[in-house]
Amino acid sequence: MQSRFLMTLEVAVVGLQKIGAVPHGTRATAPIGGGHFEGPRLRGRVLPGGGDWTLLRGDGVLELDLRVTLETDDGALIHLASFGFRHGPPEVLAALGRGESVDPAAYYFRTTPRFETADPKYAFLNRLLAVSTGDRRAGGPIYTIDEIL
Amino acid sequence: MRFRPLMTLRLSAAPTQNLGIGPRGTRVTFPIIGGAFDGERLRGTVLPGGDDWAVTRLDGLIELDLRITLQTDDGALIHMTFEGLRDDGAPGAPYFRTLPRFETAEPKYAFLNRLLAVGTGEIRADGPVHLIEEIV
Repeated sequence: MQSRFLMTLEVAVVGLQKIGAVPHGTRATAPIGGGHFEGPRLRGRVLPGGGDWTLLRGDGVLELDLRVTLETDDGALIHLASFGFRHGPPEVLAALGRGESVDPAAYYFRTTPRFETADPKYAFLNRLLAVSTGDRRAGGPIYTIDEIL
Repeated sequence: MRFRPLMTLRLSAAPTQNLGIGPRGTRVTFPIIGGAFDGERLRGTVLPGGDDWAVTRLDGLIELDLRITLQTDDGALIHMTFEGLRDDGAPGAPYFRTLPRFETAEPKYAFLNRLLAVGTGEIRADGPVHLIEEIV
């Protein structure tokens, strides 16, 4: 499989909402307060108002369901929805939980972003699938997103 | 980004169900009547009864939504889904990519519960073939 760098995406989590134990696991929602993205073909900011709906399953895998709106530096709006998994050794996850900086290679944090836009300049995003690796920082994750060629 | 081969999946479909133009585009359903999968870590057959629900969008691309059950050669059942995108008019060659996900209760195959994957699809005379790789 071949992939090509599309962008880095950094989002800021504000006020984690711990929903608690639900039928499929433990649910928490991470509202996104903002952020930015940068790549050779597009760059701009993340609008406030999105979120990452997370579910910690019984097998220890955290399911991620991120939805945010991107605004490019030339004014186009892009809908981004991304499903993902995060899991790793208990001590690594505990360190992440304490907000410590951890080598992203020490755990599995992968997502599959999808894009939708009405702007013709960015319509190529409607026509691709993508994968990303995540790096969980104290303020929020940083994703390195690759287009699947 | 690193990938690792997971399996080659061949699907057999019954005659398509052409539902016509709906609110999201032109809808076609491909009933899956069988197939086979083969990789270093797992192999077996596709049980009849799944489907691939396809919608041709207004921009001409086809969105795929597959749900099937795999049965390994040692008897484990694996629930498999993918969402996919097919662009037969892509420059150069057709673009046909999928994002498979798996669920199983069998401990031997529990590694499938913890990985995301990507697939490259190809339509051949005897049905679609998907080369699926784990996102490492």
